[in-house]
Amino acid sequence: MFKKKLTFKILLLLIFSDILETSIQFFFKKSALAQNGFVVMDLASAAVFLKAAFASPFLWAGLIAVAAVFIIWSGILSKIDLSVAVPIASFSYILVPLVSIIFLHEKITVLRWTGIFFILAGVVLVSLSSKERIIQEK
Amino acid sequence: MKEGLLVILSLIALTSVCDTINQLFLKTAVDSLSFSPSFNIIKIFKFIFQLIIKPRLWLGFVFSVISLCIWLLVLSKAELNFAFSADSMHYIFIALASRFVLKEKVTSLRWLGTGLIVVGIVLISLS
Repeated sequence: MFKKKLTFKILLLLIFSDILETSIQFFFKKSALAQNGFVVMDLASAAVFLKAAFASPFLWAGLIAVAAVFIIWSGILSKIDLSVAVPIASFSYILVPLVSIIFLHEKITVLRWTGIFFILAGVVLVSLSSKERIIQEK
Repeated sequence: MKEGLLVILSLIALTSVCDTINQLFLKTAVDSLSFSPSFNIIKIFKFIFQLIIKPRLWLGFVFSVISLCIWLLVLSKAELNFAFSADSMHYIFIALASRFVLKEKVTSLRWLGTGLIVVGIVLISLS
């Protein structure tokens, strides 16, 4: 039916949706931090918490990003296998540490570098496996 | 202590299963559409409209809400490090579901890559 080929364009879309996914976490964290120390005890205080959260522009930015990720992700799924799309989306595990190094000047331990290397190797292998299938079909 | 660990692991397995079911519903909903979108605003809107009227998509959404609730429960009981690395089992579930439900061809190379990613996530959460 569809050509299930992992093209460079789809790879870029996947990375873009990973970046959006990361920014969603950032936005939601920001909107929650705005009410630092707030304890949700019962339904009434949960309502107050939600009301304050929805007043934060960060929450709305996060929700817009959620909608964008949904559109991009379903577009991606219409073009490639699920068993390729999901592993490659794990790229965000690499993206977040990179952002922490570059923008937050965090130190990354050797163990973490090893983990990043394993994920990267895994993503490369899964991407190659998608190409391999195309060659077999030809 | 050991019982508690088992409960938490089962809960994490449950969220992973719910996530996998959500992805399966989304994937089959997308595949049941007659076309895939290109970089064209009208086509993207048409695609999204056709997608959101699929009941299967909303079923998947219900599962993702369930998964989120269980995940919050897990986080209240376990350390994030541990929960995070145990959650990487959902990559295995996705590969199994793709193979047996969607009948995708999961080659040994793809299995190897998925396995490496799981190892990598466990290493990252250990550090």
